[in-house]
Amino acid sequence: MELSVNDHGNFAVVHLKGDVDLQTSPQVRKGLLGLLEDGRRPVVDLSAVTYIDSSGIASLVEAYQTARKKGLSFSLVQVSPAAMRVLQLARLDKVFTFHDTVEAATVGA
Amino acid sequence: MIDAATPLAHLDLIAQVTAEFAHTRDPKGSILSGLVRVSRILEAEASSLFLLSSDGAFLACEACYGPVDITGLTFPADKGVVGRAVQTRKAQLVRDTADDPDFGTVDVDGQTGFVTRSILVAPMVVGDQVLGALEIINKSGPDPLFGPADQALLEVMSAAAALAVHNVELTERLVEQERLTTELHLAAEIQRKLLPEAAPGDFPVHGVNVPARGVSGDFFDIIERPDGRIWFCLGDVSGKGMNAALLMAKTSAIVRCLCKGEDDPGRLLGQINHELCETAGHGMFVTLVVGLFDPVSGEVALANAGHEPPLLVNRGGRLLRELPAEAPPLGILEDAAGPEGWPVSRFLLGRGSLYVFSDGLTEARPPGRPAGKPGGAREMLGQQGALALFAELAHLDRRTRLMALVEQVMVRDTPAHDDLTVLVIEQDQP
Repeated sequence: MELSVNDHGNFAVVHLKGDVDLQTSPQVRKGLLGLLEDGRRPVVDLSAVTYIDSSGIASLVEAYQTARKKGLSFSLVQVSPAAMRVLQLARLDKVFTFHDTVEAATVGA
Repeated sequence: MIDAATPLAHLDLIAQVTAEFAHTRDPKGSILSGLVRVSRILEAEASSLFLLSSDGAFLACEACYGPVDITGLTFPADKGVVGRAVQTRKAQLVRDTADDPDFGTVDVDGQTGFVTRSILVAPMVVGDQVLGALEIINKSGPDPLFGPADQALLEVMSAAAALAVHNVELTERLVEQERLTTELHLAAEIQRKLLPEAAPGDFPVHGVNVPARGVSGDFFDIIERPDGRIWFCLGDVSGKGMNAALLMAKTSAIVRCLCKGEDDPGRLLGQINHELCETAGHGMFVTLVVGLFDPVSGEVALANAGHEPPLLVNRGGRLLRELPAEAPPLGILEDAAGPEGWPVSRFLLGRGSLYVFSDGLTEARPPGRPAGKPGGAREMLGQQGALALFAELAHLDRRTRLMALVEQVMVRDTPAHDDLTVLVIEQDQP
């Protein structure tokens, strides 16, 4: 899995690529929590995610919960069909905020 | 004749010391006794063993020989002549400390009153790892300066010393690993006892759980109410391993406790969610299906929190009804569902079979299924593959069927990729 971050004002666009699973999710968790620690607002681009398991979802959930506690926004953009299937099956589409594009997610950046 | 100025002159000593290092369980003690012997042969005044801290930041004297005891002396790993030997991984021969720029950076003489004139240090290296260094100080006798032969001897000894320390570390790690394995087995045994005992063959609800790695993040439970109705539940905790197993144990205890005072699966999920939200951490969550089956009316009331859809099939394996989650998993949001809790589906079981299962079933890649069949050629089984298996095994009684299902799905003798848990609910017709 690859993780890269681009700055959009006070938003941080986090691009994830490949499989987000038990091996790679700690890296996602650390990256997202680190950004929130610095007061940044993560926008997670899931367009290149080929597989995500429950530990990967848990790292997104933890970042989402942390953002809520800090009063920061947290959103998912361009979710790949593979990731969307998992999120919808678990009805996590009722939990996360989704956007179609990075531009839509970073309005006011 | 062997030249006394080469390390070969001390072949006996090297042989004895390395043999002792190879078997020792007390590397510091053995290395000290080796240092004493080398010091006597080279007529050195003092010698010490320094080991690097686990983070590599500090060097500490672990054993020493000579007029002053500096055991316990600790300094930054890049200071002094010893630090230089460790950083460069090369032996350091300082014939006169007065000329060495690094010597004064660790002021041992100032603290002890000892006078260091010359130093020989050899780093202890195993593979690409440096563990510490051996140091000998102040050669006396007719030629009071350390020479290349002394350096060669100390280098041989420090290589053997490094192996001795490394061996003992490996052994300790192995013992620790064995202890953890034993604890894991114990945890798995206790966890198995959290699952319900096998019900009599004619009981309407049967379940099976096969953990992928000793402990399981899945669980199921079957609880008969005094009024004859039967609670059943099946859950899957996010992640794997010990943390998932602990949350599994907690959730199953909460379910067992709360279901006694409740007869609505949606409200029950709401209460469990409340308990889990108070304490779950690290983004961990639980997908859970709970249902209440009434054997008299044949009605099932079922609520699904973010779990893979249970399937109601007829005895031929044809899908009659899918029960997808209508609200998220538990432990994420306190207000994930309304005041009535999670939405409830109510339906009659009739002659159908209701299967509730974890993704260990649908994501399994069972061996030996021919290509062309769903789940064949090592593809994920998926819902179609699961339905095909239910149909193939429909002629077996419930308990035998679940065992056969496990047989078909699990890869024998290789670790399974996920826990596998399946519940079946059906009623024998007169």
